[in-house]
Amino acid sequence: MDLEANRNLIAAALGRIPSGDRGALQTVYRLTSAKLFGVALRILGERSEAEDVLQEVYVTVWRKAADFEPDRASPMTWLIAIARNRAIDRLRATRRTRNAEPIEAASDIADPAAGADQTLVGAQDYARLHGCLDELAGRERAALRGAFFDGNTYEDLAGRMKVPLGTMKSWIRRAMIKLKACLER
Amino acid sequence: MSDVVDHNGLPEDEWLAAEYALGVLTGAERAEAARRVASDRSFASMVAAWQHRLAPWAGEIEEVAPPPHVWDAIAAALPAPRSAGLWQNIVFWRGFALASALAAACLAVVIYLGTLGGTQPLVASIEGGGKRTFVATVDTRRGTIAVVPAAFTADATRVPELWLIPADGKPRPLGLLQADRAVTIPIPAQLAGQTVSDAVLAVSLEPPGGSPTGLPTGPVIGTGKLTSL
Repeated sequence: MDLEANRNLIAAALGRIPSGDRGALQTVYRLTSAKLFGVALRILGERSEAEDVLQEVYVTVWRKAADFEPDRASPMTWLIAIARNRAIDRLRATRRTRNAEPIEAASDIADPAAGADQTLVGAQDYARLHGCLDELAGRERAALRGAFFDGNTYEDLAGRMKVPLGTMKSWIRRAMIKLKACLER
Repeated sequence: MSDVVDHNGLPEDEWLAAEYALGVLTGAERAEAARRVASDRSFASMVAAWQHRLAPWAGEIEEVAPPPHVWDAIAAALPAPRSAGLWQNIVFWRGFALASALAAACLAVVIYLGTLGGTQPLVASIEGGGKRTFVATVDTRRGTIAVVPAAFTADATRVPELWLIPADGKPRPLGLLQADRAVTIPIPAQLAGQTVSDAVLAVSLEPPGGSPTGLPTGPVIGTGKLTSL
């Protein structure tokens, strides 16, 4: 199945959930749970916690499917956001920092060459984002990575990169505004 | 100087939306942003726009299959279904036994004919969820595909639709199937060259009349690869 077929299948199944169709939720789960489990596992680092979060994610999908607007959002964006939010909530509730290893501010963290999988997240969208991330300073990109993939807070990132909190906020905000401008070009 | 927060001209609301979508907020700020997503439509749109910008990054994250007990826990957490499940339904089991026998007989006939005739029929056992739902045989000489139901029971609101998924991975609609009898579908001329060994047949559940989009819109209940006998 290619990207568009998957996207249509997931969106259509999400559309049937509000009428109480359990099979539709199972379809969404079958198509997306491995990706969302990967997302939760990456943020939480522990399988049993990621499993709990994954369960919360799909129960949330069941309850909130009526909020998904296929004309306004891609189903994977919507699902990934739910998974990241639930995983981050869990991380914050446990009051631990999952990844606190120092990040060398000067280092330009190489991004994996493997790139994006093609079946759920579009290679084109990925390449576009990647191109814009490449335009950021290495330290800005490293800070964004820590936030997106490790669920780091401003405080965590300031600690990991050994800069004052205000500096970190400034880096992140500058990175976000550059990213937005680049993606809108 | 480097401690000065650079606002770069974005409104404060949009910063909150961006920081919430990225996930760097904590405590009261994060809770406030979550509350506003639920109550303030324009704020929710800003958050959604940032999620849209960042989500492709997740393409880098490797997929990890969750253990089966996670789905069981989700299913248990959902409200009980309105009617008795399929597995408790005696009519289903009678039909299942009958259909399985019919499908086996059909397969035997096809194998027999395959050894007799000069043509090369293709067969596919269409399976999903541990059950064989349909058996399909392609008559390459006549350009038809015959599909017999096996462990498939009619759905009150949806109909089974057959799809051909050739090497390019794009599903092409072949036609609607019946829950209680075999159907023979002529293969469209433009698909004849793609109805070959290793192409995949899939069955999805669609609204009456078939998928309105030309692509599967309902759950795929079974797939099977065409193989020559």
